[in-house]
Amino acid sequence: MNFWLAVFRQLGRNLRQTWTSQLMTLITVSLSVLIFSFFYLIYCNMLSAGGRLGNDLRLIVYLEEEPGPEMQEQLRRRITDFERVEKIRFISPEQALDLFAGQLGQNRDLLTDVPSDFLPPSMEVTPLKNLRGLHQVSLLADFLDTLPGTIKVQYGQEWVERFYAFTRLLSIIVLLSGTLLVLTATFMVSYTIRLTILGREDEIELLRLVGATNGYIRTPFLLEGVLQGCMGSALGLGSLYLLFQWTLNHFSGPSILNIFSLTFLSLPILAIIIGTAMALCGIASHISMRRALRI
Amino acid sequence: MTETTAPATLPMTMVEMIKVAKDYPPKVTALSDISLSIPRGEFLFLIGMSGAGKTTLLKLIAAMEQPTRGLIEVAGCDITKLKGRSLALQRRRIGMAYQDFKLLTEQTVAYNIAIAMEVAYRKPQEIHTTVRDLLEQLQLADKHDTPAGELSRGEQQRVTLARAVANDPELLLIDEPTGNLDTTTTVRVMELLRRRHTAGATLIIATHDPAIYQGSPHRTLELHRGRLHTLNPGTDPQIGKGEQA
Repeated sequence: MNFWLAVFRQLGRNLRQTWTSQLMTLITVSLSVLIFSFFYLIYCNMLSAGGRLGNDLRLIVYLEEEPGPEMQEQLRRRITDFERVEKIRFISPEQALDLFAGQLGQNRDLLTDVPSDFLPPSMEVTPLKNLRGLHQVSLLADFLDTLPGTIKVQYGQEWVERFYAFTRLLSIIVLLSGTLLVLTATFMVSYTIRLTILGREDEIELLRLVGATNGYIRTPFLLEGVLQGCMGSALGLGSLYLLFQWTLNHFSGPSILNIFSLTFLSLPILAIIIGTAMALCGIASHISMRRALRI
Repeated sequence: MTETTAPATLPMTMVEMIKVAKDYPPKVTALSDISLSIPRGEFLFLIGMSGAGKTTLLKLIAAMEQPTRGLIEVAGCDITKLKGRSLALQRRRIGMAYQDFKLLTEQTVAYNIAIAMEVAYRKPQEIHTTVRDLLEQLQLADKHDTPAGELSRGEQQRVTLARAVANDPELLLIDEPTGNLDTTTTVRVMELLRRRHTAGATLIIATHDPAIYQGSPHRTLELHRGRLHTLNPGTDPQIGKGEQA
């Protein structure tokens, strides 16, 4: 019999003898991983939605009157002196009305009697793609508001602020659920291993007396922790995938979810979550062994 | 991974104890000034009343306890200095039958015997055959799958003996082997131990049963109040004699 065969036999005995507490630990680790990965999945999708929103972000500066070519050039210079932007586009009242009519589609007849200067002239500023932070967008908006002839600057400020606030809140929830994962995995696995060790105290004592090495005694407990981490996290992520598929199937079609174009966690992320859970549970069982098995 | 525990050259002396003492706090002296030399292959009886220190002496040789003073060498190794893996390998060379049996009462008889061989990475088939053979020799063949806790004390004593000899150790330490046995079973047990001795094992039997050691040609030492006295120097022709300092 080789070392690993002997170790796996011991592991099997451990699992059989304490299967109820093993099951409880497995469920706890699974739930912790499910909670963490659930919020992480939402967070990732929010980030990617945020990225898409950032790409489409435009600041509309409504002007008192349409600027001439010289004034346009001056405005361009002042804006680019303050912050590099991707694009500045001037929109005359006529162009604005055409755009509005285009948005109305079949109902454009409503604008038949509306004068061509019904809408104010404006300037559309597209920030650079790296101008991501809400604070930077807000600073640029404040600057645009100080430009001569500006009536109002609009970029869906309230919506964007709420979106970023929600993303910030999510990042905190992800951190908290990550902490929960670390704590539950560590404490529960450590507790279960200690229970197993206490339940097999006589056998461990006998193993020492008949010449078992530290590795022979400790490795099954270490594997038990790693196995709990692997199975618990796989179960948690599997449940999340089922939940994700259910959500996609039940909320597909014209709904708010389409804006976000939901995607599941990538394979490397899944591997990192499983690996982290295994490492955490392995460390927990190691700590437990160091305390209980002073050989 | 099969590990070889025997050294390349075997020392002639199996156990060497020099001025060994064992005190238990606060003021109990279990053994004092014990010097003993046991050649390889000797069959030795250690007798004495209850509490004389026989079990303590065996525990010191088995490295289950550390002496308060003195040197103990087993098969040429100073066992007081052994730790971790070296200690584990040394323990595989020693088979001990404990007075309190140390059986896993919820485990089967077979597992209780097999555990010593599993630790030494013996092959499953070999473990199976050896366990069957030992149970046959000790009239426990029908108890193979019985939990050890359901056996009588006499049966439990035989299981602990079987476990001690299962791994073919070089040194056998047997603590009160016949305390709970009837005459017929005592004869069988002693026969089993004699076969191990003939095969080359060194045996130390701690007992207070005169039926075992009286009239025996083997050296008999008596422990009295923690001190060792030679009761019978023995007439074994093939081994050297130990000497009480």
